[in-house]
Amino acid sequence: MTTLLSRRMLGALLVTTSLSLAAPALAQNEIKIGYNADQSASGVAELGIAGLYGFQAAIEDINAKGGVLGRKLVGVVRDDVASPPKSIQNMNELIDNEKVAAVVGPTNSGNALAWLHIPQQKKVPVISHVATATDITARYMKEPQNYIFRVSMVDREQLALLAAYAIKASKSGNIAIVADTTGYGQAATKDLLEILTLHGVKPVAVEKFGPKDTDMTSQLAKVKAAGADMVISGSLGDATAQVLKSMEKMDYYPGLLSTWGSINTPLINIAGPKLAEKTIFAASTTEDANERAVALHKRLIAKHPNMPAFVSAAQGYDAVTLIAAAIAQANSTDGDKIQKALENLGKVQGIIKAYDKPFSKEQHEALGVADFHLAQWKDGRVVKVDNAIVKSLTAADLKR
Amino acid sequence: MTAILQALASGLALGAIYGLIALGFNITYATTKTFNFGQGAFLVPGSLVGISLLLLAAGKPHWGNLAPSEMTLLSYALATLASVAIVGAIGVVLYYCAIKPFVGAGGLNWVLSTIGFGIILQNAALAVWGPASIAVPSPLGNEVWRIAGAGIRPQEVLIAVVAISVMVGLDLVLRKTRFGKALRAVAFNPQAAAIVGINVEKIVIIAFVISSSLAGLAGMLIAPITTASVFIGLGVALKAFSAAIVGGLTSPRGCMLGGFLLGIIEALVGLWRAEMREITIFLLIIIVLVLRPGGLMGARSVEKI
Repeated sequence: MTTLLSRRMLGALLVTTSLSLAAPALAQNEIKIGYNADQSASGVAELGIAGLYGFQAAIEDINAKGGVLGRKLVGVVRDDVASPPKSIQNMNELIDNEKVAAVVGPTNSGNALAWLHIPQQKKVPVISHVATATDITARYMKEPQNYIFRVSMVDREQLALLAAYAIKASKSGNIAIVADTTGYGQAATKDLLEILTLHGVKPVAVEKFGPKDTDMTSQLAKVKAAGADMVISGSLGDATAQVLKSMEKMDYYPGLLSTWGSINTPLINIAGPKLAEKTIFAASTTEDANERAVALHKRLIAKHPNMPAFVSAAQGYDAVTLIAAAIAQANSTDGDKIQKALENLGKVQGIIKAYDKPFSKEQHEALGVADFHLAQWKDGRVVKVDNAIVKSLTAADLKR
Repeated sequence: MTAILQALASGLALGAIYGLIALGFNITYATTKTFNFGQGAFLVPGSLVGISLLLLAAGKPHWGNLAPSEMTLLSYALATLASVAIVGAIGVVLYYCAIKPFVGAGGLNWVLSTIGFGIILQNAALAVWGPASIAVPSPLGNEVWRIAGAGIRPQEVLIAVVAISVMVGLDLVLRKTRFGKALRAVAFNPQAAAIVGINVEKIVIIAFVISSSLAGLAGMLIAPITTASVFIGLGVALKAFSAAIVGGLTSPRGCMLGGFLLGIIEALVGLWRAEMREITIFLLIIIVLVLRPGGLMGARSVEKI
């Protein structure tokens, strides 16, 4: 009896020791990548959800090929519910407790701006795969090492594309700007005014409306009276939807261009599928852009039938691909070595494009205006716009 | 010309929303000289409860988007009734928590207690529904009706019709019925009203139930226009409150008039300079308060907060 007991105890003891030995061994076989983005709260949460799908798919693919440095990649996912304090808390937790090698996120520019100093001080590279504010990558540009990178649209760059298109598409040369009074809308207005000035164009009307307004007919009446035949909307998808609804009320349909916020379903849910087709917007990629995008889209939609916004899935996928390539090149998971490797990457095949030296000391944007497409809703799906005007756009038109 | 007609149409549509919510301030003010400063927060359960019922009826989770085919006039009407009943019941809770301890005691404690109750309600809704907004299709369809070139949506016409009907109803009840007389008696002198056999507390509770139900009704009516979310109430409720002050807190007709006036001014000023809308409206409020402290149609010399 006693021998049995002691044998059992011995067994238990052995199991415990082997477990405690196994745990650190397991961790050493893993490289953790953090994901900190809104997946539930704001109007752009869909970009965070689709971004997560792409993030997970890239990790799967890399692990299927044996991982990085012989170690498996593990994603550590946090939802920041679009709240800056929550996003800061997630960031500290990912870096201090989870010891992630790099972070992908966030969805909302405001959240990025709230915690940029944390990864910068703790030397953990971040790739913003959704948030678009120009300042995100620019803030630490003058530091010896800037840990913040981006594989997403940049506001200034997408507005440059919209402005170039508007000028080519306008028959009368009369272009108007309509934007809400939020920080996003007013920053877009400022950028657009500067870009149009580079083209030597003065908008015939610059109108604003409140963030919760539902009727912009008065503002649009002024735009119409000014003779505008191209209007650029500097707002997120839900406000652009209200602009479209007001245009419908007036039966006034100038060309309406908008930023990639229109890729989210609030546009189509609020404006309805028919009206939503009337705006053309900027997107880094669409699900029909190239064969890699088609394949990834097919695979993700099979797993997540309700996946919104493929574009951020592709951006999330490419963000992980670039991080993995940098870890491999650095032969280390040290933040500053990964940062240096990111700035010195060679050719890396992504979904959106084949990256060739995507980042450098001076350039932390993997994508620029030349990579962006114009897209629009068609029968409930986002498709690439490929009309004569798009084809006629040259690099010289893309002033910024 | 079309632009001005369109501004008038849009202004009336907006004004109907303000007026409808303003009526909720009128009924309790007419009884207790208090009202629910958190009225805007009551629009939140108003719309979200109704929409969630529709979603559940369609076999979906309580949070999501409704397809236009899942929204019929009948289901919308039933959901609105349920919403009105539930938010009306919250009105009873409001009375016992935030009004009864303070009413008649003088001071402004009820101002903070009603604001606080509204914040509690809004945050409770945030916990249940989350912060994202739900797009709601209109039961009357999404086409635009055109009158002399100016477009208006059926849902906006519905809001105006309901708002005016509620106003007429309230006006008749207040003036012609025994209940209305009791309401006014309580407002005039609660002690005297009690002496002549009026159950003062019952009357006051009914007033708060009506006021809250109106918020529930307004929440369901405006959801197809503004989308349903935890944050819909604040902006419109402030405008509605301004409408009630301009038109006269004591008069249902005044509340409605104030609502239409504000809506039209907003739309017309927008034709000139959109950023001047709020400035114009609040300047107007100050001028009205100086010239007619009781509002355009209100009784003279009432106490203002």
